[in-house]
Amino acid sequence: MRTERRSSRVLQYVLVLLIAITLNFMLPRMMPGNPLALLAGADVGLLSPEQRAEVAARAGLDRSIVDQYTAYLGDLASGDLGFSYRQKRPIVDMILERLPWTFLLAGSALLFSAVVGVALGAFSAWRRGRPADLTLLGVMIALDSLPSFWLGMLFVSFFAVQLGFFPSGGAITAASSLEGVDLVLNIASHAVLPVLTLSLLSVPGVYLTMRYAMLSVLGEDFIRTARAKGVSERGVLFRHVARNALAPVATVLALRLGLAFGGTVVVETVFSYPGLGRLIFEAVSGRDYPVMQATFLVFTVAVLLSNLLADVLYPLIDPRARAT
Amino acid sequence: MQRRRGTPGLAWRAGPLALLLVLAGCGQAGPSASVPAETGPAESAVPSTTPEAAVESLRAGMVGDESTLNPYTYVTGFPGWNLLMLQYDSLLQFDVNGEPQPWLASGYEVSADGLTYTVTLVDGVTWNDGTPFTADDVKFTVDYFQANTQSRFTRDLSGVASVTVDAPNKVTITLTSPNPSFPIRALADVPIIPKHIWESVTTPAEATFDSPTNVGTGPYKLVEYVADQSYRFVANETYFRGAPAVKELVLVQYADEAGIVAALRTGDVQAGFRSISPEQVEALAAAPGIDVAQGPEFTTQMLYFDVTKAPFDQLAVRQAISLAIDRQDMVNTVYLGKGTVGNSGWTHPSSPFFNAAVATTTDVARANALLDEAGLTDSNGDGIREFDGNPMSFELLAPSDNPLRLRLAELSREMLAQIGIDAVVTSIERDTLVNRVWPDFDVSKGRDYEMSIFGWSAPVQVDPAQITALVASDPAVGSINIAGFKNAEADRLSGEILVEGDPTRRKDLLGQLQALVADQVPFVMLLYPDGNYAYNADAYDGWAFIAGQGVVNKLSFLQPDSRP
Repeated sequence: MRTERRSSRVLQYVLVLLIAITLNFMLPRMMPGNPLALLAGADVGLLSPEQRAEVAARAGLDRSIVDQYTAYLGDLASGDLGFSYRQKRPIVDMILERLPWTFLLAGSALLFSAVVGVALGAFSAWRRGRPADLTLLGVMIALDSLPSFWLGMLFVSFFAVQLGFFPSGGAITAASSLEGVDLVLNIASHAVLPVLTLSLLSVPGVYLTMRYAMLSVLGEDFIRTARAKGVSERGVLFRHVARNALAPVATVLALRLGLAFGGTVVVETVFSYPGLGRLIFEAVSGRDYPVMQATFLVFTVAVLLSNLLADVLYPLIDPRARAT
Repeated sequence: MQRRRGTPGLAWRAGPLALLLVLAGCGQAGPSASVPAETGPAESAVPSTTPEAAVESLRAGMVGDESTLNPYTYVTGFPGWNLLMLQYDSLLQFDVNGEPQPWLASGYEVSADGLTYTVTLVDGVTWNDGTPFTADDVKFTVDYFQANTQSRFTRDLSGVASVTVDAPNKVTITLTSPNPSFPIRALADVPIIPKHIWESVTTPAEATFDSPTNVGTGPYKLVEYVADQSYRFVANETYFRGAPAVKELVLVQYADEAGIVAALRTGDVQAGFRSISPEQVEALAAAPGIDVAQGPEFTTQMLYFDVTKAPFDQLAVRQAISLAIDRQDMVNTVYLGKGTVGNSGWTHPSSPFFNAAVATTTDVARANALLDEAGLTDSNGDGIREFDGNPMSFELLAPSDNPLRLRLAELSREMLAQIGIDAVVTSIERDTLVNRVWPDFDVSKGRDYEMSIFGWSAPVQVDPAQITALVASDPAVGSINIAGFKNAEADRLSGEILVEGDPTRRKDLLGQLQALVADQVPFVMLLYPDGNYAYNADAYDGWAFIAGQGVVNKLSFLQPDSRP
């Protein structure tokens, strides 16, 4: 029974991945706009029709959509993501250069928002209905509605320009040849503002989930039983309530892990951070088809993997999910 | 040209900048060359400050990644081409007046029929890997760009029939037909590439920075490229015109203009290789240590309509629209005065080829009278005229990522409402707009719009003959005639302009074509925005403003006596 379920689950993922790959291939081509300007360079309009055709042919754009699709699948199967129209470089290289930076931002922000969100959520639930809870709830809801670019620009103008505490953008001081601790500090000081922006915007989600999960557990019969048994209030909160509330929070966090990559597009632009988000943004403007496909694929895989993670984690946290 | 903060030195000339807002303001295409401009009245062309000792290092902000910056990989016309040319040289080099001057070529002669260019090369030039530069490299460059399509340089050289090496320092270039623009469009635009490097490169578009393709004769050598982050150039101390005035040039990439402005304020960079928007100028100029240099540019903001479609095929309608547009109001309201009012003949008033007899008028009453005479009246009293029984209501496209163009569209709508034409402003994504106005970048494929705000980068004005590309009906000549304009007289003039070798006669023909454009209104020329360049004068003040190309050029980093 179990292996059967597992294999059908695997099949599901493979199917979703295939559909996503197909969509990733189709979407760029369905958008109006033409990558010819990127392929041929800026003065594309001044080329003769023959020269234009030659440029398009070199990129395989003269072939039928089915041909292009099968060629894409073939390349993908052999791990080849292709060449960027804009940068004329292998896309694998371009993604590998940027992935660590996005990991750094998204990872730090996720960690930060998980710790702060869970702690505040638990605190709020514990103090439910009291002024501290209501204030926190209000602040979180307000925070949740802030646009990320606005918050980011505010941080740049205040902390970087006015106070000069942090650099205004970038991931590392260019051409600085720093080493060791200095290098780490330099990278850290560049990351503070973007991580803070990303974190502040994702804390409310975690907080609200945690608070709600705690509140629903607090109403359960076994909590009353625990209290009746004489378990201390602190014991109830940590050993019984928080533990049970963590299951939905873990799911939310796992899913966020995948989405975190997409969430960096705006923040990476505001802080001129050299991550995947900026790559996708640049690829869309100008219609760099191969880069669009490849970055979409990375996001797709990230979301699928985080779903898988949630699927695997959930039964470990919540024994009830193992039963069936 | 004004300077926003008075530090002594540096008198900027009224030179046009070749910049950003390129095709459809989409930041592509770029300065092909510069105009031989005698423009700016009493303004000195040469910076009056002399950078004495070389500056150790200068950091400048730029927008976007330009890949590995060799002739086949650089991305945009600005600043990509400009940065490319820090590493490479062309046979001619524009001086600050925008006139091509001897550079790798010590001189050239043109045959009487305009077909043959005999070019003599400077002796003793070496590639920055130590190999001597010779006439073979020149011939190789032409052959290579012709054999391996690189849109800009292949197009520049498309009229070359053959190149022969006469001596180690002499080549003869033969054209298929006379082309008076050849020195501007090709000799001063195409980077000469080393034969000993490129002869073994078979897929030039995939040449990466690791391969030694970035060998040039230029004043700088690219030593470090970090994708999406920075470039580091070091001076070529043995440059044939003399060692550069800045020893190390670090370019820091930002995602947008706001990034550069913030970095200038924090001091992370000392110059911005991008024009800043009008509303930022006052604020930045007030910041301590920052100067903003302003100058007119040749970039254009235009109102286009599809002249093949009714009612834009009617001359009265086009003329009425032109008369209804208050260009001065647009310059004041949208550009806060930092721009030049558009001339209805399209050409910038500071171009040496400007026909001063072409007037631009705003006259709403006359516009209304023209439409009345044409029988386009408002019969149902809703304030909108009718044409063939339908209200004269049209979609006016503007790119969603360009607030200035959106604002121009809004103002156009208000101005056209005064003559009973209803323009419905539609904001759409930039690439989508380009594809509707200029499908597949091929005017022979027609067009799918009614009205649109659009514009061209500076190079389109830099070579005066390019006006033919906007109005000629043969797509091979009128390659950017996105209005679909067709006029026998315009075609005749265009044909003559392209081959006329006599400068006086050519200027006269250009003037006639401008007058025709003003009268026939294939489009409405709205305005030419100023360039606004911010820099820290304490860090470096040796900028050379090339007419048509701005400050991002190799002259800016050469000692004054090394400049042409």
